[in-house]
Amino acid sequence: MIKFWLKRVKQGILTENVGLNSELESIKKELEASIKKRFAGSLAIRMVDSGSCNGCEAECNALSNPYYDLERLGIYFVASPRHADIMLLSGLMTFNMTPHVKDAYEQMPHPKWVITLGDCPVMESVFEKTFAIKAPVKEHLPIAYHIKGCPPTPEDIMRGLLEFLREG
Amino acid sequence: MRLIARYVKDLTSHFELVTVYEDEITRETISKENPSFKTLMREHPSCIWFERKIKDDFGIKIENAFDNRRLIHQERFPQNISPMRKDFTQKEIDFADYAPYKYEAIEGDGVFQVAVGPIHAGIIEPGHFHFSQAGEDMLHQEVRHFYKYRAIEKMLEGKTLFEAKKIVSRISANESIAYQIALRDIIVEASKMALPNSLRVEHAILLELERLIHHFTDLGFIPNDAGFASALAYCSKLSEDTRRVMKKLTNHRFGFDSIGFEKLGFDTLYLKEFMENLEKEISFFEDWIMDIPSLWDRFDTTGILSKENALKYDAVGVVARASGVAVDRRENEFYKSYGFELCLEKCGDVGARFKLRVAEVKNSIAMIKNFLEAYKKNSMLLKESESRDGEYFSFVESSLGEIFMSIEIKNNTIERFFVRDPSFVNWQVLHLMMPNNIIADFPLINKSCDLSYAGNDL
Repeated sequence: MIKFWLKRVKQGILTENVGLNSELESIKKELEASIKKRFAGSLAIRMVDSGSCNGCEAECNALSNPYYDLERLGIYFVASPRHADIMLLSGLMTFNMTPHVKDAYEQMPHPKWVITLGDCPVMESVFEKTFAIKAPVKEHLPIAYHIKGCPPTPEDIMRGLLEFLREG
Repeated sequence: MRLIARYVKDLTSHFELVTVYEDEITRETISKENPSFKTLMREHPSCIWFERKIKDDFGIKIENAFDNRRLIHQERFPQNISPMRKDFTQKEIDFADYAPYKYEAIEGDGVFQVAVGPIHAGIIEPGHFHFSQAGEDMLHQEVRHFYKYRAIEKMLEGKTLFEAKKIVSRISANESIAYQIALRDIIVEASKMALPNSLRVEHAILLELERLIHHFTDLGFIPNDAGFASALAYCSKLSEDTRRVMKKLTNHRFGFDSIGFEKLGFDTLYLKEFMENLEKEISFFEDWIMDIPSLWDRFDTTGILSKENALKYDAVGVVARASGVAVDRRENEFYKSYGFELCLEKCGDVGARFKLRVAEVKNSIAMIKNFLEAYKKNSMLLKESESRDGEYFSFVESSLGEIFMSIEIKNNTIERFFVRDPSFVNWQVLHLMMPNNIIADFPLINKSCDLSYAGNDL
């Protein structure tokens, strides 16, 4: 373990410099400020996958890696819809998931918003309508904001959240 | 003999039941009048899902089955419709009355049920796990999936192979390159093209890169589920680094729509340097992580799958190899000539699956370095021609295990698309790992297998 800490100290903090341009840095600062103002310091997101390819989930997981480190901005993915301000909804809203997505939305306390993530929930992906798909989501839930992409990159998701906070 | 898949084709006048084994393919004709077939559930437990899926898809009765419950059609799905039949053309169905699903459960004094999902606590795909508990001890678990069922098989019918590419690329993001290569092999065969070795090498580099990304993700998340978060920080960095290389090579972080018949052209020097660095990183990681006793206390003897059960349940991929079953589609002359070595473990526990991934990462890095030695940066564009009618099969070893794809082509379009994700068989193995473990270890055991929901549910 000592070896690990030596390497860790030598490496320093990755989040600040590697691979991210200054523009993204300013977005992060802006995002931090908006969250402080509008959500008293933290924004709680409940991620719900309603039938994706798992790409959107992988990119949301990537938001926690040392390069993006979303949590330091006060944005958290929470384990229960009852703790959430926002439902981040990915996937094609399948026939089988539709009742469960609605249940999760019902469980969220007011005020609450739905943000659709990726091209699938708005039926703009390569997948075509079948009997097993109930997307677009707008027919079932009110959508406050949409983050497009197939899948949206971690940077797209951060930008999207900022845009939502600006507009909202 | 290992059973690979069992599925049905609607041939208008009758049904055909196809059973694919390791060494042979058998076919049975099923009449459309009172259609039924004899079950193989007892000989091959992996058939439990294959056959229940056939029943839901085509409305064919399973004779002598001990499990007749609906599989992909859930509580609110209308009764008595068979969507995979050719005469079913509806694009919209309504929710029917709630018909309860009877879970496999152990009952008795003090035994209780724990239901988990479909929406889980983390950022993860939807699926349901149903536990029978005696206190902390798991007595039994039933895995129930198909919440992500998008009817991709039906969606692809009537399309040309080229029109299918974008959808096949997005069946399961973690295995996108593998799915695209499976389709590539079928296109090559159906249109009588010859695949030049240098293009094959380029695609093989991408497939191993995809494996690295996925294995790094797991090597971080498995220790994280045992409360060792610094491994996640370490490996999610490596995973992100490798994903950025994927983006550089294919212009997409997951390599969607990147397997074609035009050479992409890689910067070999840059790649070689990156691989050499990864080699150092994984050695450091292995050296460090193998020496954390509290972590191995959680890994060792947790979630054991015996070799006997792995064979009985026709398991594939990392799950099978960690239990000592030698099954890997890369075991052929092409891969061996670039340094492929079959990695195996014996114990079949969480620790074995973890160590196997470390070994496979090292082998993939070595192979990519060898591929790069042989890589020629010439440009190449193959002309895609029409597909000949017929039935085509392909196999690819994804980061999860063997993908089996079968496509029947009629008049240049897809008549029947069938694909079996490695997870479809491995999900049915998962419950065998639970007895003698406590429920707190379930997330750890599940993550050590890291199976796909999207590829399974289709």
